[in-house]
Amino acid sequence: MRVVVRTVSELCVTVGTVIVLFVVYVLFWTGVRADTVMDDQIDQLQEQWAQSAMRPSPGASGASRASGAPQASGAPQAPATPPGPAPYTADKPFAIMYIPRLGFTWNKPVLEGTATGTLKKGLGHYANTARLGQKGNFSVAGHRRTYGDPFKDFPRLRRGDAVVLTDGTSWFTYRIDKGPYKTVPSDIEVIDPVPRKSGYTGEGRYLTLTTCDPEWGHSHRLIVWAHLDSTQPVEAGKPKALRR
Amino acid sequence: MYGWIWRHLPGNAWLKALISLVLVMAVVYVLFNYVFPWAEPLLPFNDVTVDNQ
Repeated sequence: MRVVVRTVSELCVTVGTVIVLFVVYVLFWTGVRADTVMDDQIDQLQEQWAQSAMRPSPGASGASRASGAPQASGAPQAPATPPGPAPYTADKPFAIMYIPRLGFTWNKPVLEGTATGTLKKGLGHYANTARLGQKGNFSVAGHRRTYGDPFKDFPRLRRGDAVVLTDGTSWFTYRIDKGPYKTVPSDIEVIDPVPRKSGYTGEGRYLTLTTCDPEWGHSHRLIVWAHLDSTQPVEAGKPKALRR
Repeated sequence: MYGWIWRHLPGNAWLKALISLVLVMAVVYVLFNYVFPWAEPLLPFNDVTVDNQ
């Protein structure tokens, strides 16, 4: 009898400890992990962009050499200009997002796709929506809580707030028009090219951000809509919205 | 349960304590690296999209 009682109580204490550890994991450890991973993603992007920024000069010299000695090199004939931008690769970062309202140092990588694993590494771009800065609706989802709490302060976003993105060649400044708008999880029309309920009537270059609501729940979604306000090449420096 | 483990550990009390510590750390490591990452998506914090992918 004594042994049974002791074993049961020991098991209870063990389960309690595991639950406490799990809470620590969800509240704290996923954030630590995500911060490291997101910084890695941003480093990776910046490295990639630095390399592609260097490429034009060797590419140009290579082209002139090729014209000097046409069939000399056995290298395959690479087209001088890439045929349009490369499609986004699933689960790979392609842009960095800045939202001054969420903090002056707030910046997160944007990855392609909204799979669970992708969203652990940054914000996720809905795969079937428009490309960054293009006509249509560039839609991005992010965690409200856990994994670095990227969209923790989502409800503080207001009309007129800037959402700035860069893909390494240009800065895109979007201005929020409406939000946060609360909806249900099945309301996929919020990421349509002309989102329903957004107040937009015609085609345009829009941005939609989605996250969950309530903070720790999943019964609703919070939505913010923005339109493309301005673009500028990276050589022109940071856009006004990011300057202090 | 814990008494049974304690009795079956070799060595004197200090060695037993050391082995227990290592065992506890191993369990925590397995929990954080394998069990919790598996269990966490079952909770609702991951549902941030509107198309339920």
